[in-house]
Amino acid sequence: MSDKKQQVSRRQFLNYTLTGVGGFMAAGLLVSPLRMAIDPVLKDSASGELVNVGISVDDITDVPTRIDWTVEQVDGWYKSEPSRSAWVYKDGNGDIVALSPICTHLGCVVSWEGSDAHPDHFYCPCHDGLYTKDGVNVPGTPPLAPLPTFEQEIRDGMLFLGNTIDREGA
Amino acid sequence: MHRGKGMKFVGDSRISATKTSQIPKDYSEYPGRTEAFWPNFLLKEWLAGSVFLVGFLTLTLVHPSPLGGIADPTNAAFIPLPDWYFLFLYELLKYEFASGDYILLGMLGLPGLAFGALLLAPFLDNGPGRRPGQRPVAVGMMLLALASVVWLTYTSASHVDWEARAEMDKPIPESEVAIDTEHDGYAAYEASCMSCHGGNLEGGPAAPTLVGIEYTAEEIADIAVNGIGGMPAGIFTGSDEELEQLSDFIMSVNESTE
Amino acid sequence: MLQKIYDWIDDRVDITPIWRDIADHEVPEHVNPAHHFSAFVYCFGGLTFFVTVIQILSGMFLTMYYVPDIENAWKSVYYLQTEVAHAQIVRGMHHWGASVVIVMLLLHTLRVFFQGAYKKPRELNWMVGVLIFFVMLGLGFTGYLLPWDNKAYFATQVGLEMAQQVPFIGEQLKILLAGDASIVGAQTLTRFFAIHVFFLPAALFGLLAAHFILIRKQGISGPL
Repeated sequence: MSDKKQQVSRRQFLNYTLTGVGGFMAAGLLVSPLRMAIDPVLKDSASGELVNVGISVDDITDVPTRIDWTVEQVDGWYKSEPSRSAWVYKDGNGDIVALSPICTHLGCVVSWEGSDAHPDHFYCPCHDGLYTKDGVNVPGTPPLAPLPTFEQEIRDGMLFLGNTIDREGA
Repeated sequence: MHRGKGMKFVGDSRISATKTSQIPKDYSEYPGRTEAFWPNFLLKEWLAGSVFLVGFLTLTLVHPSPLGGIADPTNAAFIPLPDWYFLFLYELLKYEFASGDYILLGMLGLPGLAFGALLLAPFLDNGPGRRPGQRPVAVGMMLLALASVVWLTYTSASHVDWEARAEMDKPIPESEVAIDTEHDGYAAYEASCMSCHGGNLEGGPAAPTLVGIEYTAEEIADIAVNGIGGMPAGIFTGSDEELEQLSDFIMSVNESTE
Repeated sequence: MLQKIYDWIDDRVDITPIWRDIADHEVPEHVNPAHHFSAFVYCFGGLTFFVTVIQILSGMFLTMYYVPDIENAWKSVYYLQTEVAHAQIVRGMHHWGASVVIVMLLLHTLRVFFQGAYKKPRELNWMVGVLIFFVMLGLGFTGYLLPWDNKAYFATQVGLEMAQQVPFIGEQLKILLAGDASIVGAQTLTRFFAIHVFFLPAALFGLLAAHFILIRKQGISGPL
């Protein structure tokens, strides 16, 4: 080989230029569509306010009861008032505990003593997940984390609940 | 094919003016008895296809495609279940080694390994032999994977009460439910049942819909008093006359939808 | 008359070699069920393609009535099931075809696997085939939601929950599929519709073309 400097041949140059122009066209074509497609990922999710769930503090006992209420929800262009649910009870200190019924395994719905075989537990019918009364997952069953609690507040003797708060696994 | 000097073209185009033969090649004397794809082989393929199509259309006629009730995100009583070909994955996640702390193993490890191995099978099983007997490891793994998928699917499906699921998820167009609030039994319904079964009998998070049920008036009255499934006894507390009006009311709503 | 039209076109475009190449390629005896009945296992691939054609056709016609909107999706399906002549059959074809195509794909895959037909030089075509399998599963997953009934809705919710568990990108992946961080709703349905009707079929067509071109290039694998 000669010690001539490595030169870009005419064909190579044209290839590079073609790739560049092609890349420009592809980018120009795809920037907006891709940005549009991933928009939901980049958007901050709006946090909800505390909502009156329609149960007075005095009516809450030490047995978990299921309560349902509605929140205002905006899903893109679709506004609705879906219902939310929680299991509420008073613990030993008289503090109100509100647990989300959404199983932390795969999002099924748990119920208090939902299986005759497991009294005093929250039971998930999908994969036999179990939680103790305080919502902590029973080790050895599918769920990884305890049931989430709700942001809560008591105003004028009524219970107000907000977003769910995830808890660390047992 | 003609090449080089003396080529003729159609007009100023690049289409060759020399015609290729339109008569099919004759394969009858080829070694190994091959035959032309079109029409000889395709005819046999399409005969098989026709038999298949008849069977397929029979299936669609005998079993109309199922449609459940309109999706109700708040229906907490509904137990999710994927389509049948994902059941094995769903069942796998029930096992302790595939959930909890091992969720990644169950979710990604095992299926990832299986599908990865499937994708890369030609490189993992790269010996020259093609007969199953010459590659016992590959064939053994495949049989094992196949057996586990079949078994997982079967276990998952056998736990499901398909009839009860279909019963819970009936297609009822909302508009067809006529609620006669003047009915004698409506007051009793409002007092005892509405909080769970909803103002239009559509059901709610804690109770199924009462539209499209297949009970007699007597059975409805009995359920109202004694409960059924997750519904406790003693919810209805009125008089016998009100009970009769109530079951009559639920029946009348059901009849109005038919 | 037809012959004249054909000749007129052939004179100008020279189409004969194009179809002659497809029509005249020889098919060996060992894949021909007319010679050995056991060769019916070679039909699974063709039948998979046949069901795919059924799916494309029935799907195209279903979109004449279907609306991908959470208020109306279920109603439009209910309407076509109950009010439109033969629509129940068309939806039936699409619904059952979705299951049958998976069964056929599985049988075809097993035939190729147990015959070791993926070995050199056909490694690439096997991989294209496995990708087709994945795309089909994706079509099944996205299509399942579209009628917007309870079983569809909750199955999708569980499916999205699974996607969320993927390490590092799970959360983003879920939002990308569902269109919202917490709601499976209006934006999920339109996304699934777009994926089911445009994105995955486009991928499927590309992969199918590659699959068939490779088969024509390499020929069918020899007898065991």
